[in-house]
Amino acid sequence: MMLEILQSIASGIPLSIALTIVAFVSGAVLGMPLCGMRASNAQPVRVLSGALVLTLRSIPPIVWLFFIFFGLGADFIQISPFEAAALGLGLITAANMAEIYRGALTAIHPGQWEAAAALNLPPLYRFVDVIGPQLFRIALPSGATYAIGLLKDTAIASTIGVPEIAFEAYHTSQRTFHSLDVYAVAGLFYILISLSLAALTRWADVKLRARVAR
Amino acid sequence: MSDSTAIRRGEPLLRLAAVHKRFGTHEVLSGIDLRVSAGEVVAIIGPSGSGKSTLLRCINQLEPPTEGRVLLGGVAVEAGQELSRAELTQLRRSVGMVFQSFNLFPHLTVLRNVSLAQERVIGRSRKEADAVSMQLLSRVGLADKAQQYPGRCSGGQQQRIAIARALALDPKLMLFDEPTSALDPELGLEVLAVMRELAENGMTMIVVTHEMHFAESVSDRVIVMADGRIIEEGPSAEVMRNPKTERAKRFLQAVNDR
Repeated sequence: MMLEILQSIASGIPLSIALTIVAFVSGAVLGMPLCGMRASNAQPVRVLSGALVLTLRSIPPIVWLFFIFFGLGADFIQISPFEAAALGLGLITAANMAEIYRGALTAIHPGQWEAAAALNLPPLYRFVDVIGPQLFRIALPSGATYAIGLLKDTAIASTIGVPEIAFEAYHTSQRTFHSLDVYAVAGLFYILISLSLAALTRWADVKLRARVAR
Repeated sequence: MSDSTAIRRGEPLLRLAAVHKRFGTHEVLSGIDLRVSAGEVVAIIGPSGSGKSTLLRCINQLEPPTEGRVLLGGVAVEAGQELSRAELTQLRRSVGMVFQSFNLFPHLTVLRNVSLAQERVIGRSRKEADAVSMQLLSRVGLADKAQQYPGRCSGGQQQRIAIARALALDPKLMLFDEPTSALDPELGLEVLAVMRELAENGMTMIVVTHEMHFAESVSDRVIVMADGRIIEEGPSAEVMRNPKTERAKRFLQAVNDR
């Protein structure tokens, strides 16, 4: 019995992880231009991006997913539950990562920009060689914390029918009536994934920091 | 890249004409005129807030002047003029800058710090750039630190690396913005020794400094600034010993009384 519970809930793990990765990676990438827009010299761009970030962050993820899947999905676009969840969580992640990058940018010594400018590095390389790597290091711990939060938020995708951990747990408990065991197992899986994610980032952090101890 | 406009010692290299810099309504530079010839070492002294650093930063357009012209090695920049990427490149290439806070890139090795701009700005190969970097690091006495990260070097060593980094693009003019102010006296000395060697080898240098001994013994000319103006200018010994203006007297008195 326990084995059956374990198996059926475990079958949701790949989608939980996939959804976390897709949403996080797209959000981490999209967050960069969004952060750039927030620091723009043009006021309309700043206002627009500010409003975007505010909207994305203030509305609960579940409302976003319902809006995209049941709202847009019903009338305007063909979208699968997974795509809707990835889109919604990815956009929310972009807004949050933009804020994390913004904070990290202020932590970079202004002298780094000046030195890069005085050496006349082309703007692309200023970012790629000088600012980007430092930004990454500063944003890594906050980004990892956010990713773990995001993993937990993927449970919301069960409400629109993505067969991830929480979805499988719900249906297993309906079938077996062992709700306590079922949700305990689901919780355990979340803990295990979170712990490995945390261990991975700690390893990366230590590895990066060891070299540039100031 | 070959240098078709090689400048000989004594020829005019830099000229500032009526340079003003305002931040909002606050005027930091109020009409600076300055000529520097190739091979000259010019020290700029004066109280904090007198515009010394801003003056340096106007020369390489880190702070574009609000009014006036900057002529440097054949490139003329009129205030308010939008510089093309190529013009800015030509201008900045000929000027190396060393900052008070070193501003080395902490995530790159010492060698990469010196090589990076050579590859990205003047297109040297990694091998060429590293060879030039090693030569420059030897010159400032730090070849053995090439594979270290800047965070593992002392302040004096970091500043010498920063000098090597600035020299790597073959500048015609070196700007030093209080290069020893963040260092304790002993570490400052090793940086000054490197600068002295540069001066002896004919590098044109403008040095904003509070090191009066260095100003007097190494520089050919001293400029005293106050309130965004040059209030006194002349051969080092003369300016330092017999300042003419009241304001310069007061400043040098305060420095000497310490």
